[in-house]
Amino acid sequence: MTASQHSTSRGVWAVRILGLLLLSYTFIMTFTVPLGPGIEDVRVTTQTVTEEGGVYELEIVGHSTHFSTSAPIVFLRRGEHTLNASAIKALDDTHLKCRVRLPKYIPSRSYDVIVNGKSDGTLSYANGFFAEGLDVKSKARLANDAMAFDQLEEKDLGFHFPFQPNIMESIRNLMLHVPMWFTMFLLMGISFAQSIRTLRLGGDDDRDLRAVAAVKVGLWFGVLGLLTGSLWARFTWGAWWVDDPQLNGAFVTVMVYAGYLVLRGSVQDAKLRSRLSAVYNLFGFCLLVVLLMVLPRFTESLHPGKGGNPAFSSYDLDSALRAAFYPAVLAWMILGTWMYSLALKTERLRAQIADARLTRSSMPLPLLLVTPASTSSLEAVFTASGKMPVVVGVAVIIVMGLGLWWVRAVRELRRLGREESELLNP
Amino acid sequence: MRETWFLFRHFWKADVRAQHGVAGLVLFVVATVYAVYQVVRGRPEPETWNAMAWVILLFTAFNGVSRSLEEDRPEVLAYLRTTVQPLHYMLARTLHNVVVLSGLACLVVAFMGLLLGWADLDGARLWGFVSGMVLTAVALGTTLTLLALIAARAGAGFGMTAVLGLPLVLPTVLVSTTLGGELLRGVLVSDTWHNFAFLGALTLGSGVLGAVLFPYLWRAS
Repeated sequence: MTASQHSTSRGVWAVRILGLLLLSYTFIMTFTVPLGPGIEDVRVTTQTVTEEGGVYELEIVGHSTHFSTSAPIVFLRRGEHTLNASAIKALDDTHLKCRVRLPKYIPSRSYDVIVNGKSDGTLSYANGFFAEGLDVKSKARLANDAMAFDQLEEKDLGFHFPFQPNIMESIRNLMLHVPMWFTMFLLMGISFAQSIRTLRLGGDDDRDLRAVAAVKVGLWFGVLGLLTGSLWARFTWGAWWVDDPQLNGAFVTVMVYAGYLVLRGSVQDAKLRSRLSAVYNLFGFCLLVVLLMVLPRFTESLHPGKGGNPAFSSYDLDSALRAAFYPAVLAWMILGTWMYSLALKTERLRAQIADARLTRSSMPLPLLLVTPASTSSLEAVFTASGKMPVVVGVAVIIVMGLGLWWVRAVRELRRLGREESELLNP
Repeated sequence: MRETWFLFRHFWKADVRAQHGVAGLVLFVVATVYAVYQVVRGRPEPETWNAMAWVILLFTAFNGVSRSLEEDRPEVLAYLRTTVQPLHYMLARTLHNVVVLSGLACLVVAFMGLLLGWADLDGARLWGFVSGMVLTAVALGTTLTLLALIAARAGAGFGMTAVLGLPLVLPTVLVSTTLGGELLRGVLVSDTWHNFAFLGALTLGSGVLGAVLFPYLWRAS
């Protein structure tokens, strides 16, 4: 007789189990696939500038490179000009020393540093070397003694994620942070569809409950997306919050849906409430589309594909990332819809109990608190080993956030179930 | 159309008759600008000038749409429900708000200019700024009318309109402040016309959405 007694079909369980498998795959891929090699930093350790020119000792810091076995060669490049480095010595797999000799007059002060070796292939670090103390003359020429480019070693590595400067290991967050937003879009889309049906029926309790259940779960994903994004932004862009159209859009969207819940709280009559909140929900979803999908295309954004496509473009996603990213999106979406069905169950039970009692209980939303810590020690902790701790932090936020949700949801369902049986069979 | 026009005239008359409504809004604008003048004391930087102008307009708009007319008495509404089509009521109400807010927008610029100076706006750029203000007032009026009606139906007042409306009008505010900032920095009106187009598109979008959705709010139960 009641909605809560609908049993879940086998097909649904099959999808849920597929979701769980994909989720395990996501976490395994995220934390075990190695990152490709790259240059983290280039430092000038000593420099001697005389009338003849300058001699610079460079130290190159690599990340997951194989300097001690790859027999690397190093050269500088700016436009057509190339210059070999000499006295190349690998200290260990990730540290390399070399010497650069430049004439007094040079065509440009800054050069890309390029390292080539077996298995790692060609690694470059844009504007990694800056020649201090020398004069620039546009007519100046370098010796152009670089090796023939066809002699360079090809990359020869197993399955790995691409190395990107500054982002480094934290590229793994692609499988954790980005799908939060995709899942939110999906849930808000479900809510949008249910609100349209609510209005078509001229106000309807059950469709309204579906809409609000989807919004509540979607909001949870949105908040987790904001928190994880904030952590990631701190250690790639340098601030917890930056003025970026995508960020502002996400924040405003979360506020709009919080306003939706406030509006619901202030109307007592169920039918009127279903209509009012449906109207606002439709407005809010249109705004979400404008803010997160249209406006970022017109403005400069720090997010990948700035000023154009707000999502990752084909340049940023290589085959390894694709193999991890698309299943991850599917996994999080299945988890989101599962949570939606649980939330719907809760909402229906709550509505029934309220009907039985003719009173309404209100449950406050638990707050997620992030305690601020001192910045300097954080910097050291999170930027260690190629920003891998950022990925761990993001994963911890998501696991704790969703874990909190599940514990709460299961407890709430049990409590409501008990109350219902007490009310119906006193 | 005639019904819309008739209703609009009716709202207008109600406003004129119950003078305190519009007079209160004018007083709000004058008092706010004067308070800003007292705080800033003298000629503010163009950025400050810009921010103040838009914030004052925004708050005036919220005040303007969420005041209730003499015609909002339950008896009158019950009568109107049986005689008027919801779309016409919505259009008349929006038109009324838009006209009042446009007037107030001009007043904001005029009074800001009087007390705080024009912040280097002159000639075409001044008129560009004024038309940007008026266009923003139109956009705000269109969006906020529906939200004020939602809040009124929910039995809540100004606070609810602000909670529901502030996030929703943020795109409009972003576009208008960019527009104003560019004009104040000396950008020609012809080089910033795309912002006018954005404002127009936002107005059109929220207007259509409001017209489609309002009938669902109009029904008695």
